[in-house]
Amino acid sequence: MIKEPEPHSFETEERPIVTAPGDLQPEERLAMERPGLRDWMELRLGWWGFVRKNLDEPMPPGVGWWQTLGNLLLTLLAFQFTTGVLMAMYYSPAPQTAYNSVKHLTTEVAAGAIIRGLHVWGSALIVVVMVMHTLRVFFWGSYKKPRELTWVCGVLIFQVMLGFSFTGYLLPWDQKAYWATVVGTRIAATVPFIGHELLILVRGGEEVGALTLTRFYAVHVMLLPAALMGLVGLHLYLVRRHHIAGPVMPQKGKPQPFFPNQLFKDAVVVVAGLAALFWLTLNLPPGLEAMADPAGTDFTPRPEWYFLGLYELLKIMPPGYEALATLVIPGLITVGMFALPWLDRSKSRHPAKRGWVMLVGMGVILLIGLMTLKGILETPPSSHHSAPAQEGGAPAVE
Amino acid sequence: MPELQNQSEKKQQNGPSRRSTLGAIVMVLNLGVLASLAAPAVRFVLSPLSRRSKLKWVDVLGDDQLAEGETREVSYVIPIVDGYQTVERKYTVYLHRTPNGVKCFDPACTHLGCRITFQGDQQRYFCPCHGGVFDKEGKVVSGPPPTGLVQHPVKIERGRILIGRKV
Repeated sequence: MIKEPEPHSFETEERPIVTAPGDLQPEERLAMERPGLRDWMELRLGWWGFVRKNLDEPMPPGVGWWQTLGNLLLTLLAFQFTTGVLMAMYYSPAPQTAYNSVKHLTTEVAAGAIIRGLHVWGSALIVVVMVMHTLRVFFWGSYKKPRELTWVCGVLIFQVMLGFSFTGYLLPWDQKAYWATVVGTRIAATVPFIGHELLILVRGGEEVGALTLTRFYAVHVMLLPAALMGLVGLHLYLVRRHHIAGPVMPQKGKPQPFFPNQLFKDAVVVVAGLAALFWLTLNLPPGLEAMADPAGTDFTPRPEWYFLGLYELLKIMPPGYEALATLVIPGLITVGMFALPWLDRSKSRHPAKRGWVMLVGMGVILLIGLMTLKGILETPPSSHHSAPAQEGGAPAVE
Repeated sequence: MPELQNQSEKKQQNGPSRRSTLGAIVMVLNLGVLASLAAPAVRFVLSPLSRRSKLKWVDVLGDDQLAEGETREVSYVIPIVDGYQTVERKYTVYLHRTPNGVKCFDPACTHLGCRITFQGDQQRYFCPCHGGVFDKEGKVVSGPPPTGLVQHPVKIERGRILIGRKV
């Protein structure tokens, strides 16, 4: 049986660290004739009350390190947002200027290599942590009643993040960016009947060019961030509304408040994650290949590593069955992820009692993992994080 | 405020607890995270401040093409570094020859930067925006401009007038 979490109140002798204005009841504050600024503000904003409520959020026993990944993701997103806004100050989304503006902001603007490195490596790290976060929720069965919509919201965020990486990949307008987009957008053309029209819509024309770049830019810096903010807000609201699910089998002991133990674990993981991010940024700064050259023949297009699984899947498909790899299999996985809370009918959250769901889930994970590994192993070392920007390459203007 | 006093007393009695110690550690870690992003971010945003410009000499007119007392508008095109690109940009200046030599006035009003024009019949510069007026020596005659017109360095070499422009 799943036990619905009950709202907890803690009989704490020690009050939370946020004390000063939060100790008054709203009525008391309203009755004050001449409240101080903090009480006056608190009555209107309720900020400290909100903070305290969240610090007192009950954590079921058994909650620990695995539940820190959401906080790390939120921090990484804040980093992406900040570094993204900063780069938009120097970036120019046109085929004639995009490449040089990225080169300029990387090599000539102060701290430019760090800001861009944080953004590039941050995107990869987000995919890794997001997959771990999703796997944790999957294995713990945390998506079960009443948290179905929290899961659906999370899957939507997953899709948005993949959209971010696909659109962001084009923006530097180097060979890698250009050819990955040429190949990636061709997937739209494999859709039956309307494939060609869809391809034109995605590219803004027959070929990848100026209109593709402005389209991808608008989606990357306006549409997706707006969607992401709404979805993350909803996700957090639902997480707080239904509280943390806790281990698959309820453990003995009382729930503990979020602060201090869990928040401390969160902070440690955030610092560890960011240490990895800074290490990658400083030791493996992302380079630029030659400028995009639509006429070039010496470049083998490869997608970003987290799309390599799809890429390898496409390679092993017999001719005429490409749609299987571009649409059917990824489509089924996506639909399966959305529908998971309703496909998995078992009452128990225990992995051993969720028979076929676990089998199919692990099969999919294995398939994606093996295909990605195959792709990584077959990647020629040179096309991976190439050396600093090279000169040359004709401008990609038709 | 009695409430606040009570709390500070309470804190002193309890001494540093596990809660407040972990709270302080979390606070320090969060500040570190914030600083790790803020430091490069601030440098990145402030980067234009540290850009150094160089003085470039531009040949604009023959020395014999400007009579004493005359004011002439001349334009020239030079390549400049504009962020991530090098572009050809056209500039205009006013040259004026006095008994002491040639002066070169920038055509930006010193009030708020509108483009001034020289009226030959009145021998004055007029700003279209807020009624600033300068005489042919660049001094303020009337209106809000706080100072006279900005001058660019001028030198005469091999019968040509060269003006200095920061690029």
